[in-house]
Amino acid sequence: MSENRDKKLEDILRLIELCKSVASSSANPFEVNIREKLQILKKRLPDWKFLDELLLDSEALHQLVQIVKLQEQWLKHRASSLYIDPMLLELKLRLLSKEELADSLVRSWHPITQLDQLAPRGLERAFTYWRDLAPISERFREEFSKLGTVPGEIDYDELVGMRIFSKEQFDSKLQEIYQELAEKSSEAGVDYRIFVNGKDFEGTVIRAYLIAFLVTEGRATLRIDPLTEKITLFPLAEPATGETSSVAIEVGKA
Amino acid sequence: MTMENERANLERRMRKALQVLLLQRGRNPGVKGWELRRYLGRDYKKITEVLSGELKTFGLEVFVVPGLEPTEESARFMLRFRDSPTLTEFETAGHRIDDLAVLAASIAFINAKQGRASRKEIEHFLREKFPKWRVDYSLDRYIKRGYIDQDDEALLRIGWRTRAEIDEKSLITLILARGNEVSPP
Repeated sequence: MSENRDKKLEDILRLIELCKSVASSSANPFEVNIREKLQILKKRLPDWKFLDELLLDSEALHQLVQIVKLQEQWLKHRASSLYIDPMLLELKLRLLSKEELADSLVRSWHPITQLDQLAPRGLERAFTYWRDLAPISERFREEFSKLGTVPGEIDYDELVGMRIFSKEQFDSKLQEIYQELAEKSSEAGVDYRIFVNGKDFEGTVIRAYLIAFLVTEGRATLRIDPLTEKITLFPLAEPATGETSSVAIEVGKA
Repeated sequence: MTMENERANLERRMRKALQVLLLQRGRNPGVKGWELRRYLGRDYKKITEVLSGELKTFGLEVFVVPGLEPTEESARFMLRFRDSPTLTEFETAGHRIDDLAVLAASIAFINAKQGRASRKEIEHFLREKFPKWRVDYSLDRYIKRGYIDQDDEALLRIGWRTRAEIDEKSLITLILARGNEVSPP
């Protein structure tokens, strides 16, 4: 008896899972046979006695409603003038170069025009915010006092201590990456994002660290284009002098 | 009301309409139909149409994005470029070709999948042409700007900004027409 009940519950759970998987992907919602599923729910309904079972039944019904909603959207899209054979479109997208894709987009683009302005009310709010803002040292104490150690820096000696580098290895690796940079860069420098890429994520992080060291030592310099956000790296024959500034560059997993 | 008075009244209301459309209120650009009715009166739709015609000289137009309900009151009215800027102009404005290509492919891909596709699916598709960091960066950027919508289940849909700024039909037609151009003999 109990086994039979478990089987029925399993059917409902499977139905919920099916609906969820269709809703969370681009699968065709018409793959769910609504009439058949509703009949299953109708047939099982008299068997449910406990609240949990009834809740599960209503959840299944809710998921079916979501599928019907998706079916409506799907039909609307298909009936619209935007419908095109998905396979053909995907194939075209695969064949086009990025320049052709970008050009197609800009030809269809009509940017919105709008004025950004600071109204007196906004200015007043900004003033109140600034007036009531506690000094940064106090804010940090409040925010981080319960969290233990705040994020800090890791220096070369610590890396040696952690056995990530030995002193000899570090110097030779630094020299190696400097040579590579000198060879690969032209007058226009070299794209930082391309140059930093290692064999894997770990390799990329190590290269990023070594480049940061070269820049800090003044053997290389970075230039960031504020419009395109392109970062260019240049090797320097002689250590740079003059004003320096820090810049944070995110290194993502490739 | 004389002809002259009528003309002056229309011009005054058009100026008001332009002000309302230009000034940013809230996070998203544009003004809802009911708001325009409050500022311009019942025939606000007609005023925006006349204004759109006048703005043609400056390469602008009043564009209407339908709202969730099928009424003019819930539609969003906004000012936009009548003609598209060139690729170089977009680049000068800080858009990289790679980013633009990612957006073009994402919009077309979502349309090919009947208006929704999982982020994973799109990322996998885009990684055939772009490195992972570029795909992540560009998708996040355009999601943040409202060109693509992402829900809690990482399903991507066309965002409100795409509906407002990009002629999707033209984009898809251009993509399909690429490579089919007949070169002159």
